[in-house]
Amino acid sequence: MLFSSISKRKLCLALLVLPMLAGAVETKLSGEFWGRWINETAKKKDASGNYQDKMVNNYLSLERGYLGLETKFSEMTKARFTIDIFTTDKTHEYIQDSLQTALPVEPITSTNKSGSVDGAGLKIKYAYVDFTGLVPVPDLTLSAGMQKVYFGTIYDWNYTLIGKAPTDEYKVANSADLGITLNGYLPQGFGEYALGVYNGEGYKKVASSLKENTDFAYLANLRLTPLPGITLGGSFMSNSAGREKTLDGDALNASYEKQQLLDGLVRLAYGPVDVWSEYISKKVEYSNETSAAKTKKFTATGISIIPIISLKDYIDTDVQLIGRYDSWDESDRIAADKARSKLSAMTFGANYNFLHDESAVPAMQLQLNYTTKSYDEDESHSDFAAGKKDSSQINLQLKWRFANTLK
Amino acid sequence: MNKTIIIISLILTLSLITLSSFAKGNQITCTGSTTVLPVAQATAEAFMDKHPEINISVRGGGSGVGVAALQNKTADICNSSRPMKAKEISAAKSKGINPTPYAIANDAISIVVHKSNKVKNLSVDQIKKVYTGKIKNWKDLGGANLPIVIISRDVASGTFEVFNEKALAGAKVDATAQLLASNNAVVSAVSSTPGAIGYAGLGYVSDNVNVVMVNNVMPSETTTKDGSYPLARKLYMYTNGKAKGDVARFISFIQSVEGQTLVKDQGFISLN
Repeated sequence: MLFSSISKRKLCLALLVLPMLAGAVETKLSGEFWGRWINETAKKKDASGNYQDKMVNNYLSLERGYLGLETKFSEMTKARFTIDIFTTDKTHEYIQDSLQTALPVEPITSTNKSGSVDGAGLKIKYAYVDFTGLVPVPDLTLSAGMQKVYFGTIYDWNYTLIGKAPTDEYKVANSADLGITLNGYLPQGFGEYALGVYNGEGYKKVASSLKENTDFAYLANLRLTPLPGITLGGSFMSNSAGREKTLDGDALNASYEKQQLLDGLVRLAYGPVDVWSEYISKKVEYSNETSAAKTKKFTATGISIIPIISLKDYIDTDVQLIGRYDSWDESDRIAADKARSKLSAMTFGANYNFLHDESAVPAMQLQLNYTTKSYDEDESHSDFAAGKKDSSQINLQLKWRFANTLK
Repeated sequence: MNKTIIIISLILTLSLITLSSFAKGNQITCTGSTTVLPVAQATAEAFMDKHPEINISVRGGGSGVGVAALQNKTADICNSSRPMKAKEISAAKSKGINPTPYAIANDAISIVVHKSNKVKNLSVDQIKKVYTGKIKNWKDLGGANLPIVIISRDVASGTFEVFNEKALAGAKVDATAQLLASNNAVVSAVSSTPGAIGYAGLGYVSDNVNVVMVNNVMPSETTTKDGSYPLARKLYMYTNGKAKGDVARFISFIQSVEGQTLVKDQGFISLN
């Protein structure tokens, strides 16, 4: 979602003033900013048509600029509003001309992309209200609005690695969406749960790209901590995509798809070691597809294993070593379809956390990651031209955060 | 693929090699509630006198800070003036931390007013109406014609959370309230402001303020222990799992007769 500079300034001012006017008990202002250097090497055709490893990206960016207000109206009612200001993203969907007239959504090309950017992009990440005590169940909250999607690890992914949560990376679920959820905690800290109804489109869809489908998404999530250091989780989400089931004149929309999303999580934490492992299944059915030459249903599966080792207790400096192995397999499609690749990715990284507050939460984090991606499909496959090429990437990122209570 | 397996194996091997206990010698770090702070300090000093080889570092910050420190493994003991919440326990357990509570004292959140204030008793309902701004003058409570000045604790405080739960039933504190960061600051502000009302742990109450009864019950050892005082609570120390070694010895000392005498000396109420 892109706004003019004036609109952004107004929005930021309103963010600061509104909670005070509303008589909030407490308002917390928080921010988190990611400054990143990205250097990527990938296969690219040379003059003779042969593929060579070449640098394809080398740039600096403000990848995320979260600015949030958390307003407590009472001990039982609080609201959160977070915007994301950024310099790079692939979602420039809303373009305005100089008279502020909305133009039709266009696919991004090298020509209109630069024309759509006015210094920074802006997205609304969260805008929801939490009500506790409405339902007489201890530690149960009803949340309404643009909020977290309680699926897999996406809702509490804290970017120990620079990369996204697996379900985010492979477009299985969105990290935020409009919806209503019941989310709570089990007694004695035995875990947490959530039930929700969402739009199912995520927080990036705006303007004429809304609405992408006519069905709500339904979610159930359960995460248990039966013993300290052992976390077991499972999520299920029923969603759809590809616009409406039927088009004008009741014509069947062949691209309409039903999705059944599953996620299983095992987390083991002991001493300085914390290992996350996640299994993802995305079952897709094109219920209106009649062509025998096209995929009518398929299941994509993936696993992700992330070991994290904290060296804080050994070298008296808050340093973490991180690894990650991902596999994402969409090869269960017929051969003619695009996006049927099988991806393997490895990441190695280190974090240096510094400027800790009194609770030992670092205000700054310097992250260095090296990632390699390899696809099973070779240069002859259409996916290859679409960008699914073997590549390696170095990311260096400085994150900084703050949180202050205004009142 | 073999290369991948080798790399994963290396990572896991490195992980296993680094597994070891967190022994930090004879240093104990104790962080959290400002209410528990004087008890922790007094007992730590007495304990260190007996065991000079052990060094105990005691810090405040509030119960929330203590909980976060325990979760982040930067404190051996979390001082808390409230029980940990399910959300906090769940977050700790998922990190391999097993928050284990040890009650170390009883306390009564005392309602304090200025020395000149003639009001002797308030019901819980009246306290709620005062703190939510529905009653604004002492004359409505049988006192002088004087505007009420509300003094409260900041929301990071465990004392605030217990007070909010037991006295306000979760209601919003009036926007005019002054939010202060410690029990001492509350008592001090009340003592110097004729129309003020505040609340603090019993151990912080001084002769410079009047303590009012709540539902006709005065906070005391007897009314706290028999449960008749509506704003009674326990004070806790949380450790990661069952306390061991020097930490266990320190907590046992606080719970001993000698330690509980120190608890009383600080103005709080002993466990038994």
